[in-house]
Amino acid sequence: MDQTISFKQVTHTYQANTPFSQDALDLVSLTIPAHSFTAIIGHTGSGKSTLVQHINALLKPTSGEIDVYGRTIIPTTTNKNLKELRKHVGMVFQFPEKQLFEESVIKDIMFGPKNYGASEADAEKDAEDAMQLVGLDESLRDKSPFDLSGGQMRRVAIAGVLAMKPEILILDEPTAGLDPRGHKEIMDLAQELHDHRGLTIILVTHQMDDVVDYASDVIVMDRGKIVKHGKPSDIFSDPKWVYQMHLDLPSSAEFATRLVKAGIHLKQTPLTIEKLADEIAELIKWEAHT
Amino acid sequence: MKDIIQIKNITFNYPDQPLLFDQLSIDVHEGEWTALIGQNGSGKSTLARLIDGLIVLKSGQIVVDGLIVNDDNIFDIRNKIGIVFQNPEDQFVGATVEDDVAFGLENRQMPREEMHKVVESSLKEVGMWEFRDRIPANLSGGQKQRVAIAGIVALSPKIIILDEATSMLDPRGRQEILDLVTKIKQENNLTVISITHDIDEAATADRVIVVNKGTIVEEDKPDNIFGDIRKLESIGLSAPFTSQLIMALEKRGIDSSSQYLNDKRLIAWIKQLVSNK
Repeated sequence: MDQTISFKQVTHTYQANTPFSQDALDLVSLTIPAHSFTAIIGHTGSGKSTLVQHINALLKPTSGEIDVYGRTIIPTTTNKNLKELRKHVGMVFQFPEKQLFEESVIKDIMFGPKNYGASEADAEKDAEDAMQLVGLDESLRDKSPFDLSGGQMRRVAIAGVLAMKPEILILDEPTAGLDPRGHKEIMDLAQELHDHRGLTIILVTHQMDDVVDYASDVIVMDRGKIVKHGKPSDIFSDPKWVYQMHLDLPSSAEFATRLVKAGIHLKQTPLTIEKLADEIAELIKWEAHT
Repeated sequence: MKDIIQIKNITFNYPDQPLLFDQLSIDVHEGEWTALIGQNGSGKSTLARLIDGLIVLKSGQIVVDGLIVNDDNIFDIRNKIGIVFQNPEDQFVGATVEDDVAFGLENRQMPREEMHKVVESSLKEVGMWEFRDRIPANLSGGQKQRVAIAGIVALSPKIIILDEATSMLDPRGRQEILDLVTKIKQENNLTVISITHDIDEAATADRVIVVNKGTIVEEDKPDNIFGDIRKLESIGLSAPFTSQLIMALEKRGIDSSSQYLNDKRLIAWIKQLVSNK
């Protein structure tokens, strides 16, 4: 079976055949290899969320074709044929805790597996595994999800997706509104799922520091098109271009451009704080010898 | 300096939950920008709701601009305070941007002609006048927060509370909102309270109050608070970027005598090191 996600000439038009029709995706072609950790960035309205919603066929293409691990989605694909696909592609939306509804944590997490036909016992086992995976203490299993803290509620929501054992996990701004500790916990979880469970992670984000800290590949979108697809170092090596795309640089790169403006010349654009500190230290010590 | 808000020995808990605040006292100085920082669940937003009388104290007292927060004074107090909430979706009532800003004024029965003038000047102040006929739902997150701020400016309050008002915005939108509030604060001599877990937002404040588990852990100028990275991390917050860089440089034998520097001062210091040596 083909282990990639590929888009071939995919166009998605909202409100097609009306005066309001708008191409949210415009002839997009791309390939995301299995087991990659891919970040999708682009300013608001560039088509990021539309793109990822095609991967589990929440949206279907107006034209073109999408292949997800050997399963094909075309404009005429019916929902009946998509159940299997959706089981394999987990989607965590923004503020996923808003979708919690059950009376207890364990029941909420069991909902997904049961919906896909798992027996009560199997669903419970999968839910317990998922709780452990996201670091929710066993003592919380019978509590109401609405009595938990914001960070815990979000982990319950993510556990509900993981209980279906997806091969691909799509995270749409998973850390919005969380405090720094909660933020790091969720991002470390994504990394753990990628590194040790072999999941393909697709992260939609505005946080450029997360892109350099966690992602192996980056897709940049602008007005419904893919304008760059490469490693984080390829994407951020040209600060001018990044600003043209109405995007930010990672903190270290941004600080480096301000050092350059102040007349301190660095050899290259550092993406992490450690690299930035290396460059500054080298500059000071090199100056010391002359 | 006058204390525009005095929180005196307050105790509060939600039904069936342990005490969130136990004998907590805080003073907010008039004309200052005060940042309340702390992790999710530390009681920051509850404090804003208590100040605005949206929820009721168990014991203790809150005084806003000389008025005790109670049922008799609640409308006068709410006229003095504007709150920008985290999710702008939760606070729109008007069909268009213009209607939305006018809503609060209609509530106060302002004459129609005056109302038009105030709506126009408020929307111009936040740079959203050209969007006056748009539907609020179709705006970006940053634009929505601008409209929410215009609705507050229109009512000319003395105090603005930002309740995680920038946490749903991207970094650029966040900076734009902070710059806007800074401008409005200066022009109208306002008191600003920002409730946040964004350290860079807190760094723009005059005074920072660190809240953890319902108690004040620290209260000082940003410079003094942000020097101690380990302490911030121990209560679930991260240090500002500049403090992290200073620490990384220290590891490489470059010592800043470990005080907090904001980005301008840090760049100046690095420049000095490079040219001196």
